[in-house]
Amino acid sequence: MSVSPDSATAVRTVADAVSEPLLSVRGLRVSVADGTEVVRGVDLDVPRGSAVGLVGESGSGKTLTCRAVLGLLPAGVEVTGGRISLGDTELTALPAARRARLRGTHLAAVFQDPASYLNPSITVGAQLAEVLRVKVGLARRAARERAVELLHAMGLRRPEHVYAQYPFELSGGMLQRVLIAMAITAEPELLIADEATTALDVTVQAEVLELLSELCRDRGLTLMVVSHDLAVIAQLCETVYVFRDGAVVEEGPTRRVLRGPRHPYTRELIRDHERFGIDRVREQGSRR
Amino acid sequence: MTALLDVTGLHVALGRGRGRTEILHGVDLTVAPGEIVGLIGETGSGKTTLARAVLGLVRAHSGSIAIDGREVSGLRRSALRAFRRGGAAQYVFQDPLRSLDPERTVFDTLIEGLAVRGGHSRAELREAAREVARLVSLPPGLLPRHPGELSGGQRQRVAIARAVAVDPRLLICDEPVSALDASTRITILELLLRLRETRDLGVLLITHDLGSLGGVADRVVVLYHGQVVETGTTEEIFLAPRHPYTRLLVTSVPSIGDAEPPDPELRRALRAEVRGLTAHP
Amino acid sequence: MRTVTDALRTRAGAIAAAVLAAVLLLAAIGPFLAPYDPLRNGADILMPPSAAHWFGTDYLGRDVLSRVLAGAPASVLTAFEAVGIGLVIGVVPGITSVHLGRAYEWITLRVMDGLIALPFLIFAIAVAALLGNAVHQAMIAVGILLAPSFYRITRAAALSHANAQYVTAAQLFGASTWRVLRTHVWSKILPTLVVSTANATAGGLLIVSSLTFLGIGVVPPEPTWGGIVASDLGYLTQRPYGPVFPSLFIMATVGALNLLADAIRDAGGDHGRARTRGRGGAARVRLT
Repeated sequence: MSVSPDSATAVRTVADAVSEPLLSVRGLRVSVADGTEVVRGVDLDVPRGSAVGLVGESGSGKTLTCRAVLGLLPAGVEVTGGRISLGDTELTALPAARRARLRGTHLAAVFQDPASYLNPSITVGAQLAEVLRVKVGLARRAARERAVELLHAMGLRRPEHVYAQYPFELSGGMLQRVLIAMAITAEPELLIADEATTALDVTVQAEVLELLSELCRDRGLTLMVVSHDLAVIAQLCETVYVFRDGAVVEEGPTRRVLRGPRHPYTRELIRDHERFGIDRVREQGSRR
Repeated sequence: MTALLDVTGLHVALGRGRGRTEILHGVDLTVAPGEIVGLIGETGSGKTTLARAVLGLVRAHSGSIAIDGREVSGLRRSALRAFRRGGAAQYVFQDPLRSLDPERTVFDTLIEGLAVRGGHSRAELREAAREVARLVSLPPGLLPRHPGELSGGQRQRVAIARAVAVDPRLLICDEPVSALDASTRITILELLLRLRETRDLGVLLITHDLGSLGGVADRVVVLYHGQVVETGTTEEIFLAPRHPYTRLLVTSVPSIGDAEPPDPELRRALRAEVRGLTAHP
Repeated sequence: MRTVTDALRTRAGAIAAAVLAAVLLLAAIGPFLAPYDPLRNGADILMPPSAAHWFGTDYLGRDVLSRVLAGAPASVLTAFEAVGIGLVIGVVPGITSVHLGRAYEWITLRVMDGLIALPFLIFAIAVAALLGNAVHQAMIAVGILLAPSFYRITRAAALSHANAQYVTAAQLFGASTWRVLRTHVWSKILPTLVVSTANATAGGLLIVSSLTFLGIGVVPPEPTWGGIVASDLGYLTQRPYGPVFPSLFIMATVGALNLLADAIRDAGGDHGRARTRGRGGAARVRLT
């Protein structure tokens, strides 16, 4: 059977799309105003449709790296070198206003403390609908309907009821779902989850992680997960970057890194789980 | 052998007037000498209230709390203070930065319990501080420093040392490692294991993270909406949980192991079952 | 007391401290420096400044410089007396109200509310009428009126530290309330208290001046800064610059006290301690 030229082109395009990462960071350097370098030459690639994890302790530079990608570095901290490209767009070269327009539509993020990103005196539904009106351009009524749909898609029971509730009436897990709904309203290509499940109870964390991997699978969303917990990354991501002191000390397919860690720091992270985590008991149990 | 901590039928209600709500609905719990018991529960399950009741920081509505054979739930004011000076039960807070007085040196903090008890000479206090610092592997050079000058792990060592300095029988640790980084967690948990060996301490380890109890706890007590829903050895709880909430907890813990991730469908079914439980009798 | 020493190392703090030291020195030895008898009337009335009379003479021919110098102790020390009284009856219940149970707390709160409601000048006049119009009686009145602001400031500071975890830790050792206050609470309140004391002293000085201006407290012909301003005001047409000299002394002292308070507060901020809000608003006193 001969391959038609059309399908050959199609195959090549797909192959290109796969090999060409959605997000590519090269030699990223971030410094504080006093000259201290807090991110020291980070390279990372996030392939389209994949889930990539950044793991490390507080102060390892993982959060600043993703803030730099978002263009949301804290005051007094700035990018001093390197390139960040999203698809064909070179982000570091863009003026601030253009970058702001990319947020929401091309890349979006959820963070650790969902309550602080919501206005406490406006219902969550109204806030979600506003995002839909501004970023997607829906009319008032359509925005409301779409917001309820989204809340439902986030696995919130009785979405109409949730729509009319204020942030303080919802639990941390529910608020995080609302925030995720807001983040994906304009169907961004890349979603960054920065310690998004850290403050949640284990059972709720599992639900939110499930939601994220569903979004990844069903909507073709590309995911960048930042966490201090190696197990969260292990559950969600195919690729992992281990951060320490502002640099990537180890990277690779998650499974490979977990089985054969090369850097002593990665070994320490794994040792924490093997000595004190649930894996220790599970291993002993399975050996018997 | 009598239990070090023996809590039976503990009811605790918080708030006043109309806002008064019962947090603990008849909790039973024991900790034996040299035993590490993990108390697991989610936010609002009442685990911290339980700890505070044991320490006499909130009043028990009914039920009994015995520490080292002595009933303590009825102690008030001077009797409570006298009991506390004995130092039988001590508490380690979650966030070492907030639990240490920023204006007092490590030395002052370490000897506080002995100083309150009184009757020690300056030289004895110095010796005691050095000894307890050695016990938790704190370099003696840190004694004149303030908490702001220490790392997170060192601060938590100071907090543990402060508690251990009065030679307690029971140590209640409320999320002692959840504010710490991975490498520091290991050393702090190892420290707890060592203290249990050398001092025959009973430890009640309170956490919301079941996963972190794996290599530490001998037994696990699962608290759900103010009630103990399951108690068992760590292996029983992790490998053969019986109560639906415990099963949900165990299947929710993310793991780095090779075992295939727990089935989301199973979790969904368990969640429905847990929601169906009437938590309040 | 690190905060205070830090504050003195700043330029504003050093200048303020130098001015205050000079004022205190003046209060101590001023009367001995006076070139003339401040009470002796002369023939040369309402003279402009000259080599013989640096500040000129007043309507009775008395040397103004001598009166300003001789009035220093009465003006400055009385302010300290009033603040001292205010400190004792404000700070002690302020701290203890947090630690000694609800009934005691309720009573102190109501008493202080009652004091706040008193109209200041009328109260001072009433006290003078009741106890006799003399310096110490007037200062008792001023002290009582300063007490509520000290009470509220200390109570707020004590409240914010009463539930600190290290206080709980101390209580778990069986520490008495007194010991907790002494070792953990007092040092946290002190910087706040120093700031408000400096402010209140400035306020107290103004009050003493305005009271003597009205003839309450120090009775003429005894000189005080406020009293000199008052007598000079009557002869503005002949000697328009008259009130300037005593006013300068009041201003310098008040200004230095407020400057010192600000410097201490700013130094306190560096250590992350409790700060009093608003520029010197802590114990400013109503003058009407």
